[in-house]
Amino acid sequence: MVKPKFYDLNVHSIPDGKNTPQQMAALAKHLGYTGIAITNHSSTESKPTGFESNGFETFRGIEIVSNNPSKLHGLIGKYRQNVDVLTIHGGNESINRAAVENRNVDILAHLPTPKDSGLNHILAKSASANNVAIEFNLDFIFKGHGGRRVHTLSHFRKNVEIARKFDVPMILTSNAVSYFDLRAPREMIALAGLFGMEKNEAISAISTVPAGIIAGNRPKPGFIREGVEEIVEKVDIVNTSEDISESEEAGWSN
Amino acid sequence: MKILPPTLRDKKRYLAFELICEHEITREDFLREMFLCVGSLIGDVGSSECGIRLLTFEDSKGIIRCAHTKTELTRAAVTTITHISGKRVLVHILGVSGTIAGATEKYLEGIEVFTL
Repeated sequence: MVKPKFYDLNVHSIPDGKNTPQQMAALAKHLGYTGIAITNHSSTESKPTGFESNGFETFRGIEIVSNNPSKLHGLIGKYRQNVDVLTIHGGNESINRAAVENRNVDILAHLPTPKDSGLNHILAKSASANNVAIEFNLDFIFKGHGGRRVHTLSHFRKNVEIARKFDVPMILTSNAVSYFDLRAPREMIALAGLFGMEKNEAISAISTVPAGIIAGNRPKPGFIREGVEEIVEKVDIVNTSEDISESEEAGWSN
Repeated sequence: MKILPPTLRDKKRYLAFELICEHEITREDFLREMFLCVGSLIGDVGSSECGIRLLTFEDSKGIIRCAHTKTELTRAAVTTITHISGKRVLVHILGVSGTIAGATEKYLEGIEVFTL
């Protein structure tokens, strides 16, 4: 079996967190990740940054915080072109709804509202149709304790059940604000088991789902729109003029 | 008392781990915090079913023993350790083995603990 590549798509650095993106990346690499996304809050006005070193990639991300759905759609439009991962900080009924109805959103984080788990059959159907992943941020489980952790676990258990029924993508993240908040992929999978996520679901929630989000936001060179792609034939350097005209004719494929 | 025959003994798994921290942590402090965190997550009943026990612990590396059917639960419980004597720590499980010798040879010998 091929060893899966693991990604953590919700990591905070300075100014949200305590450490630099480089420090977070170094520890994440040691723990066995292939990539992380630095998703600082939009309210801190930090510029999304990304870099790659020794096969470990740090993706540009943003976590949009807003209380107003119409402002939220504006912020999504503002950041979409500049980031690989666009996360919405939910936790309020109207924001959760606006997030799952927008195709440009990748991930909806922190769903549980003060009243309930934040996900119902209506939202789940929209999330599934628009391919918005539901995030389970495990810091609540390994950092929290007492009643708050109990509530989080039961909300997560309910959300897994609904997401499974409506085929909503699920994603596991650490929501780390310091490098002590990161957890190794195997530990994340074990923690997901606490609220009823199957092992294979947990593995895809930390490997293939995040990889799919990144790949979807990084179109290949000839990409025009979904289903339309320009295929450029390889050009021979000697007979440049002829080959270019040929490749232009070769044109479009579906 | 006579020891149990092999077929009746509990089957075990040994989790090799490293403790990533900024300051030296003593075995007593780690042990106290471990049982506190594990107890808070899975309770006394769950802890006894897991049969968690700290075997070796030195130079921020060690081995935890647990019941062979409860490795995932033990792994989850141990990762809830966030503070030891007021300082932030991170427990990273390096691997699971069926014997102490296996865990030591495969995962602990010659491994440098990650320094921040």
